[in-house]
Amino acid sequence: MATERMQVLTKGFFKENPVFIIMLGLCPTLGVTTQVINGIGMGLSVIFVLVFSNIFISMLKNIIPNSVRIPSYIVIIAAFVTIVEMVMHAFAPSIYKALGIFLPLIVVNCIILGRAEAFANKNTVLDSFLDGVGMGVGFTMALTLIAFIREVFGAGTITLVPMGGFDGVIEIPLFYTYPVRVLTLAAGALLLMGYLKAFFEWNANRKRG
Amino acid sequence: MRQFARVGITLSLIAAIAATALAMVNAVTAPKIAAYELQVIQNALTEVSGGFALGDSNTETGDTSVSAVHALNDTDGSVAGYILQLNGVGYGGSMTIMASYLVTGEVIDARLLANAETPGLGKKAEVPAYMEKFQGTGGDTAVPQKKDALEKSDADSISGATVTFSGVAKSIAYGSDFVKSLGGK
Repeated sequence: MATERMQVLTKGFFKENPVFIIMLGLCPTLGVTTQVINGIGMGLSVIFVLVFSNIFISMLKNIIPNSVRIPSYIVIIAAFVTIVEMVMHAFAPSIYKALGIFLPLIVVNCIILGRAEAFANKNTVLDSFLDGVGMGVGFTMALTLIAFIREVFGAGTITLVPMGGFDGVIEIPLFYTYPVRVLTLAAGALLLMGYLKAFFEWNANRKRG
Repeated sequence: MRQFARVGITLSLIAAIAATALAMVNAVTAPKIAAYELQVIQNALTEVSGGFALGDSNTETGDTSVSAVHALNDTDGSVAGYILQLNGVGYGGSMTIMASYLVTGEVIDARLLANAETPGLGKKAEVPAYMEKFQGTGGDTAVPQKKDALEKSDADSISGATVTFSGVAKSIAYGSDFVKSLGGK
């Protein structure tokens, strides 16, 4: 039982990673990953919304009539997204500004609606919670990896949270002077996503033998 | 009939609980957001003032593209220029731009405030250095509104975000004409 629970939690990390394997949520993935801090901020927001929407949808699965389940899920998800938006605007305005339009668009992020429909409305509250954490962490890891590669090679920097005397930006000497600018543009995001998808497919096939 | 009633009541309950939770979070965050937005405007006013003192403000301009006019006073108290809060349209929708001008319509400085531009592309217009390409224009020389009116390094800096540039430039050019129409009054 404990092993099964562990599998529910960890499957989103690599085996069923929402970005590289299931290919969900690609629009915000490509849109926000110009800086590492944006990837982390977006990932944490999605973890919060995914975990709480999964918990509530699993709790209410026997109460919500089947014919209106999608509108009900959207109301629940939209409420959590709005909470994240308001809290971030008040307490982390720089990340709120950086995420821009992609923050409210979490409402229609297909990872969240997808997990609600494919997992939370068929499973227990605990399993739905673990699924939300696993998928959210997998999404955050994917976003951070893509953002890291795009920012290091495309801008020659790593942008994190400013703290004390640290302004939040680490400069990478060679790439800061000679950046591969296309990686910061939309075309570079698509190219990189293609290479990473190919790598993860190759890795999965290698493991299968 | 009972089925319809059940569906309606369930949806209403979910919506009511969601609205209550949002109202509670809003009660906590709204004052902090309002204070932050006010601080952003105050900081922008100071940053673009070009060393002049802030004078009278007018928020009833009668122009939908200009939501506020703040006078800039010289040391002798005369009006040296204006700061305009401009409403523009970018790639992601409406944008708020704070721009300062001499009475001749020449741009002193500008800042992009509220916007929904694409992170990493149009959002780069929030960096103060982005507005350097407009400084000194609007008087004797026209405000650059097209990419080919810029020098190469400036043109490179707007790559991938020309719609944002066009929106910002149009607003700043409109503001310049607006200031000229005021005639230093």
